[in-house]
Amino acid sequence: MPEDELLATHLQELRRGTVVLACLLILQRPNYGYALLDLLEKYGFAVDANTLYPLLRRLEKQGLLTSDWNTDESRPRKFYRTSADGTALAQTLSHDWDELDAAFRSLKGES
Amino acid sequence: MTLTDRYVDAALRRLPARQRPDIERELRASIADAVDDRVESGTDPTAAEVAVLTELGDPQRLAAGYADRPLHLIGPALFLDYTRLLATLLATVLPAVAAIVALVRAMDDADAGSVVADAFSATFTAAIHIGFWTTLLFAFIERFPGQHWVIHTWTPDALPEPPSRRLKYTELVLETAATVLFSTLILLTPVVSTEKDANGDPIGLLSPWLWDTGVVYGFIALVVVALGFSFARYYGRWNVPIAIARGLATVACSILLIALAANDRILNPEFIAAAGWSDDANRWVYIGVIATSLGTLAHAVVEAAKQVRKG
Repeated sequence: MPEDELLATHLQELRRGTVVLACLLILQRPNYGYALLDLLEKYGFAVDANTLYPLLRRLEKQGLLTSDWNTDESRPRKFYRTSADGTALAQTLSHDWDELDAAFRSLKGES
Repeated sequence: MTLTDRYVDAALRRLPARQRPDIERELRASIADAVDDRVESGTDPTAAEVAVLTELGDPQRLAAGYADRPLHLIGPALFLDYTRLLATLLATVLPAVAAIVALVRAMDDADAGSVVADAFSATFTAAIHIGFWTTLLFAFIERFPGQHWVIHTWTPDALPEPPSRRLKYTELVLETAATVLFSTLILLTPVVSTEKDANGDPIGLLSPWLWDTGVVYGFIALVVVALGFSFARYYGRWNVPIAIARGLATVACSILLIALAANDRILNPEFIAAAGWSDDANRWVYIGVIATSLGTLAHAVVEAAKQVRKG
């Protein structure tokens, strides 16, 4: 396996799951698919559209997101918003992330 | 029909009907948003559409994401159970099928060639059926909603027994000696015999037909091949293909013997006449050969099953 491909695989493994947390946090304010994709990219969470759109529906099905069609504008858009369950999960996941971060810091002797 | 229409159609076709309207509306909005974004930053609309759809990728992959469908036939959770079941079935059913078909055909008084050919083609057909239906079953389990049914959890009890090499070496030596002795005796029967004809030439115990047709050499080749697999099993790593090949070689030997016995092709009629054996003696020799072959067949099937399960 070429070196950059190997790096890409490891990065993908490491980042798997962070998109879910990022979505739950960003969607505390309702937003729609493409805008969310744009926001995630701006914050530095690289995700493909074909991963994100099905993911949003899966999170909705799991009751972590709620959705509403906004038809005020000329182009109707489906707005997602983090549910109470989603907020709770986001807290748990954030806490876990912080613990991992602390663990890495102490591992590297920074604490 | 625009490129987007065709893309959306292709993605929706793979989704349950009740999900379609909602997903279509959202997907179209998302595509339009992305295209607008690119056009605003100065890209030509057609090129923007192509770029956006290219980024979205294969519509079937997208649909699988929406429908939460696996993009593999049999996943890692089931793969080992799948290969184990497949190997067990192949190692047990195939020899049994070969034996049964050969027996039935031999009882029909078919000649040795067609017995072997029919047994081979039935085994081949059975192998394809086993492969197809087992795969279909597991592909179905993989797709069955709520797949929490774990077939079994692994425990250290399932570890293969360590092979007792010494015991196996004795077995290997005995098998080699028996094969060499047996082959030599068979090859010597035309020239070494208790009976002589009018010219004083020996009358072979075994039917000259075996030499005329070359069947005897084919039989000895099979025996040697089976021995070769025993060596492979002892010195190389044991694996399923070797076990199956060894089982098949053993089965082929037995089937050939049964076919020959059923067709009265083993003993030389001239020898029987010269030695003054009764017809009964002749019949008992054949019954003995068939019984031994059946025993070998059963043993090969049981052995293969045991090894695959432990492997």
